[in-house]
Amino acid sequence: MRRYLAYLWREFRGEILVLPGRTILFSATAILLILPLLYPHPYLLRILALTFIFAIFAASWDLLSGFVGQLNLGHAIFFGVAAYASAILNLRLGLPIIITIPVGAVAAVVAGLVVGIPCLRLKGQYLSLATLAFPVILMGLVFMFTEFTGGELGVSGLTRLAPTRLHEYYISAFVGVLSILAIWKITDSKLGLVLHAIREDEVAARASGINTSQYKLIAFCLSGLFAGIAGGLYAHFMRIAGPQSLSMLTSFQAIIWTIFGGIATIYGAVVGVFVLFPMLEVLRVAPEIRLLLYAAIIVLVLRFMPEGLAPWVVDRLERECPRCKEHNAFTRRECRVCGTPLRVPLQKTPVSGEHMSGGEGLSASQEGG
Amino acid sequence: MLGNLLVSTLMSASVYAMLAVGFSLTFGVARIINLAHTAFYMVASYIIFTATMKMGLPLYVGVVAAVSLVVLLAMVTYKVLVDPMREHETTVLILTIGVALVLQELMFLWFGGYFRSVPTAVEGFTTLLGVRVSYQYVLTICVLIVTLALVWLLLMKTRLGLAIRATAQDREIANVMGMSDSRTATITVGIAAALAAIAGAIVAPLFIIEPRIWLSPLTVVLAISVLGGLGSLKGSILGAVIIALSENLVVFLVPQGAFFKGAFSLLIMIVVLLIRPEGLYGVAFEEER
Amino acid sequence: MLLAVKNLTVCYDTAMLLNDVSLNVATGELVGVVGPNGAGKTTLLRTIAGLVRWERECKRGTKAGNITIDGEIHFDGQRIDKLPPDEIARRGLVLCPERRRPFRELSVLDNLRAGAYLVKDHRVFQQSLESVYTMFPILKARAGQVSGTLSGGEQQMLAIARALMTQPKLLCIDEPSTGLSPKIRAELFAKIREIAKSGLTVLLVEQDVSLAFSLSTRNYILSHSKVMAEGTSDELMKDEKVRQSYLGLAGPASA
Ligand SMILES: Nc1ncnc2c1ncn2[C@@H]1O[C@H](COP(=O)(O)OP(=O)(O)OP(=O)(O)O)[C@@H](O)[C@H]1O
Ligand SMILES: [Mg+2]
Repeated sequence: MRRYLAYLWREFRGEILVLPGRTILFSATAILLILPLLYPHPYLLRILALTFIFAIFAASWDLLSGFVGQLNLGHAIFFGVAAYASAILNLRLGLPIIITIPVGAVAAVVAGLVVGIPCLRLKGQYLSLATLAFPVILMGLVFMFTEFTGGELGVSGLTRLAPTRLHEYYISAFVGVLSILAIWKITDSKLGLVLHAIREDEVAARASGINTSQYKLIAFCLSGLFAGIAGGLYAHFMRIAGPQSLSMLTSFQAIIWTIFGGIATIYGAVVGVFVLFPMLEVLRVAPEIRLLLYAAIIVLVLRFMPEGLAPWVVDRLERECPRCKEHNAFTRRECRVCGTPLRVPLQKTPVSGEHMSGGEGLSASQEGG
Repeated sequence: MLGNLLVSTLMSASVYAMLAVGFSLTFGVARIINLAHTAFYMVASYIIFTATMKMGLPLYVGVVAAVSLVVLLAMVTYKVLVDPMREHETTVLILTIGVALVLQELMFLWFGGYFRSVPTAVEGFTTLLGVRVSYQYVLTICVLIVTLALVWLLLMKTRLGLAIRATAQDREIANVMGMSDSRTATITVGIAAALAAIAGAIVAPLFIIEPRIWLSPLTVVLAISVLGGLGSLKGSILGAVIIALSENLVVFLVPQGAFFKGAFSLLIMIVVLLIRPEGLYGVAFEEER
Repeated sequence: MLLAVKNLTVCYDTAMLLNDVSLNVATGELVGVVGPNGAGKTTLLRTIAGLVRWERECKRGTKAGNITIDGEIHFDGQRIDKLPPDEIARRGLVLCPERRRPFRELSVLDNLRAGAYLVKDHRVFQQSLESVYTMFPILKARAGQVSGTLSGGEQQMLAIARALMTQPKLLCIDEPSTGLSPKIRAELFAKIREIAKSGLTVLLVEQDVSLAFSLSTRNYILSHSKVMAEGTSDELMKDEKVRQSYLGLAGPASA
């Protein structure tokens, strides 16, 4: 037991305390998990629970769009499909939450396939703009089958996520933390490596034998899965699934949060939600200019931190070792892994062209590269 | 019935073409997806409203004011916010959404969420193809088509047009030929904004004005420019006609079709993309380092 | 000196693409720059034309924008290394780029018009169009065709013609022979010789040493980001070390 604790402490020091960024994330998570026990204000709980739910949503967008580079402008489709699926199952068939949310997530995975397959052949901006279409098309269907979907009003009166606010909060928080960790692990795994390779150079990835179509579909499905979890939680938390969940602004929210926080980092997406969503609530003190201030703050921050908030902060707190690319706290003088000094300016090295000795090299008359 | 369909298709096609051509030009030359493009259209409508209803100025003064203010707004926004960020593609996307939201909220703040309207320039009706059409409608369509033709001439026949087309192909080489790409891009952004503003100003008397009127045309414009091929002018105009026709067909043929005409146009876009992944006339940018 | 490059060093992030390169081109000369793949020849021309600096401005704030440029470039008696590319073009320095890069969706004639963008006088434009058409009659036949559909050889001719339309004082050509059959190559180089004979100063980057040397008055050998040797074609061909290390020719000079 003591040895196990000692082991944990060593791991904790070695993995978390070494980097300021990780320390901040860890303490923030700890505070978020403990604070509500000490101060269970229903309004605060409501905001924080929603923040966790949206954090899953944003992180799932970052997985697909930031990490795999399939810039999805219609992410709301996953959220909306899961929300509607959970709501309809719950209300029309009376199924409990433990079934509706997973089934909703599965529905979102299917939506991932439906969106992903036509998008396989599309590249760059074409892909982005095509994905934008799917939620709008689905919205058209929602308005077509009003007796089933409730049309403008949506499907309301769902079972609560849990009997009390505190329970609801902890369910959202735990599912949130687990989902985000899972997404983080995915990006860190071998699968993540492949996905990253696809973003960097799809042709090269394909040339080295990777079935890029299959991996892109996997990315769509995984992203759909997590967005679906968020959508199901949201529907039960708000006790309604309406067309709002499919709107363009819902998609844009995920993009705004993630890019504001820092794209292709996962933690950036989460930071973005935790800064912006509560901020939007605080701005309720000035209801007239609430959205105006919100948009203006985002525009101004991005104008000066184009990579997003979290990478900007990390850049100031940590520095990358030029040799092994490990991160180090800004206080260190040499790299904690390889010992390379961190402060000296880098030596510039001439690029080495092909070696010219021994008669090869420039051809006298034949075609060069 | 057929006449009705034709007239309203012509109307929406020319409005959409105005918006899509500007969007496409901006994409081609400045290489940005400007999600605030239709917000400029909305702002132009409000400027017309202010000029005519609040300040009692004649309509043409309102139009001139709308176009010049919106062009100024677009160019300043581009220079100050977007141009310095150009390499951060996703950040630019959010910046343009942010700008659109800021404009929307400013209009809410100044004008409230009420539906507004402005008076027509001309009164009366005529009969075209067996349909009763108001003179305002005819005037609007004529102005839009003439403007489009002028833009076409500008692009195809003038030195500036040549610079715009060349820069849209290869920014680097255009620079080598003495065309400053940043200058061309700023001018193009201005032209695009002018087109959006003219569209907004001209159709203002026919539609209601409200701070959210930029959202649904935005989807349509995106659909058109993707369907026609991003950056292609021919594509934008053809796409505008296709989308306008299909939207109007849905509205005419399907009961309650107005609800999902947007969905329908996007469905068409997806189908076209399945067949041609680069749209009808997609432009491949020369690879730049 | 029409063009004088002094101690030019260009670094992309930590990689040094040009290392203290100096080079002179006098009016009326045809100067060749040869060297192996990745030596930095294209980078040299891009820097002279102002494109590297332009690239840095475009990518400012990102990792790819971490480019340093040291040294001086003088053209026609003025310093041009701080000027934007369009300003450099205005002074009469034009680049005929690697991989030709025609404006693909534009017609051949529009490409030539784009080349003459800075020429405001319509008569001058007509004259240079005529002379370009006489030099490359195929372009006249293809005037209305979209340039992306031209053959490789035709595209190269178009690229040179487009560059000539700017009325340059110095024409920089980057690897015109790439991907062309020997016959077309020979034709093309005959044209380049003709252009140089007409009095235009040319800076020619070329992989094909014997072709380049057959035209040039003077040459620079660029390798590993550095100028390794400089001299007339004959001098370089006679230098044993140069022959072996840089030209890939073994054995003593014969004939
Ligand atoms: N934008 C860039 N960023 C980083 N490295 C670059 C960049 N452009 C070129 N390089 C590198 O600089 C070196 C020199 O490139 P350059 O294109 O100037 O060579 P070159 O002599 O023209 O070769 P070639 O004969 O093959 O055309 C190469 O190793 C290349 O990989
Ligand atoms: Mg080269």
